Amino acid sequence: MSRPQPDSSPHCLEFHDVTVAYGRRPVLWNIDLTVDGPGLFGIIGPNGAGKSTLLKAALGLVPLAGGSVQFFGQPLGAVRTRVGYVPQRETVDWDFPVSVFDVVLMGTYARLGWFRRPGPRERELARDCLLRVGLADVANRQIGRLSGGQQQRVFLARALAQQADLYFLDEPMAGVDARSQEQIFAVLSALRAAGKLIVVVHHDLRSASEWFDRVALVDMRLIATGPAAEVLTPENLQRTYAGPLDVLDELGRAVARRERTP
Amino acid sequence: MTGHFPLPYNTLVVAGGMAAVGCAAGVVGCLGVLRRRSLAADAASHATLVGVALALAATGRRELPVLLAGGLLTAIGSLVVLVMLRRFTRTREDAATAIVLGVSFGLGITLLSGMTARGIPGSAGLEQFLLGQTAALTAADAMLLGCLSVAAVTLVWVGLKEVVLVAFDAPFAAASGWPVFAIDTALVALLAVMVVVGLPAAGAVLVTALLVIPPSAARQWTDRVATMLVLSGAFGLTAALVGVAISAAVPRLATGPVMVLAAAAIFAASFFLAPKRGLWARWRQQRELQQEWSGAGREQTQAPAKATGEGGPWTP
Repeated sequence: MSRPQPDSSPHCLEFHDVTVAYGRRPVLWNIDLTVDGPGLFGIIGPNGAGKSTLLKAALGLVPLAGGSVQFFGQPLGAVRTRVGYVPQRETVDWDFPVSVFDVVLMGTYARLGWFRRPGPRERELARDCLLRVGLADVANRQIGRLSGGQQQRVFLARALAQQADLYFLDEPMAGVDARSQEQIFAVLSALRAAGKLIVVVHHDLRSASEWFDRVALVDMRLIATGPAAEVLTPENLQRTYAGPLDVLDELGRAVARRERTP
Repeated sequence: MTGHFPLPYNTLVVAGGMAAVGCAAGVVGCLGVLRRRSLAADAASHATLVGVALALAATGRRELPVLLAGGLLTAIGSLVVLVMLRRFTRTREDAATAIVLGVSFGLGITLLSGMTARGIPGSAGLEQFLLGQTAALTAADAMLLGCLSVAAVTLVWVGLKEVVLVAFDAPFAAASGWPVFAIDTALVALLAVMVVVGLPAAGAVLVTALLVIPPSAARQWTDRVATMLVLSGAFGLTAALVGVAISAAVPRLATGPVMVLAAAAIFAASFFLAPKRGLWARWRQQRELQQEWSGAGREQTQAPAKATGEGGPWTP
């Protein structure tokens, strides 16, 4: 990595030789990756490259066939409350009888522990998180009566209520209107400014270089990692997407141009 | 002391107990419906007959607590088999549920009819567990069932936060450290207990309906879990009381079917009349929108004619 850390402070996130398989079909091979904060870190790759799986493996949602993942130098179990998560929007039933506010409140549950109910402090926090994502005015609405972008921001507010140091977001910009994208990006930038590390699985190459400080290109294996401008080269993209895609060529040329005129 | 009441003491206690059972079934059923475990509960309820028959054969005592304990054991056994089928074979969820339900019910009916045919003492009249028959209950039995119902509702209240979290977003719950499998296991065990508690009232075949219909009716009226629990409990209680009353008035009428029909009537009314989600409300909304749009069309010549085409106006 380009920024060396003193041995005394452990890395925020470390993948050691991680291999994941669904049944007998391997989806990720020998991933070695170290990420440090603060910053916006993008995991980029084509469909079926195992980007989301990498994220789920880190969170213990899919079993590792080999290797290990460490957070702040410790296994996940020891630092759960320091890790926030925004799953893909499609994973839940949006007809579920809960309000926007109820969902954001769920972000406080892990810190509350078993059977304790959210009190005034948790409610205050949830209201604050809704304000930060610009949804304070729909707090009492049933979650199904929101646009896709608003739903995504509800999930983001719930993650904010987790008060974590490291955030994982799985395709937060997928199917989201431009205004919500900007709002989400603004919230993530504020988190970065507050010293947090934000790891985002992202499919859109065009926006990748403008949003992320550093990226990892993944296609079953780790192709490259580092600052976005250095990694998103035509050669690397060709290796990752392995096909003559117009968009890629265009992007490659755009990146090359930007490198020539700093 | 019975002289003071218009109804015999036993009838009153049974009615009170069954009201508690119906209410608890509605409340517990909400969690089952929200976590989509209703079919698993159905398989478990059909498996209770095996346990009831085996408990009688093993102990020779025809006492409700003994029979229900047997029923609970095989209900939980069937759920374990269901989980194993899905984990170790490639059977899909719906097929696995149907297999467990069919096989355990077939086994239960075979055992019951075999025992009746051989004249095993106490086996006559066991078919009350098939369709439910509250007239056969003693006051002590009804009180036991009522107490278990109160306990079940208390448990729902205690673990509501955890179950709703898992039901809404299990991956998020798991990622933030909640033991999703353990919470699911506790929920399904509670459903199994509720199925067994409802067994004397509604019977193995119909008890699941008491766990599913009131929550589905309640969902029509509200967008909040807490309100849904209260409404569902009230609907379940009403259905149970109607079932007890009608089956007491009509000789030889099983209680379960009447309870289920009463619940279905509540569901139908909710489906048509509920504000916002009900059919009538949606139809009226649609008409108001159409009138609004066509009015606007007349004012602004023909311009908005296209806009009415797709689903009306939609606010983000």
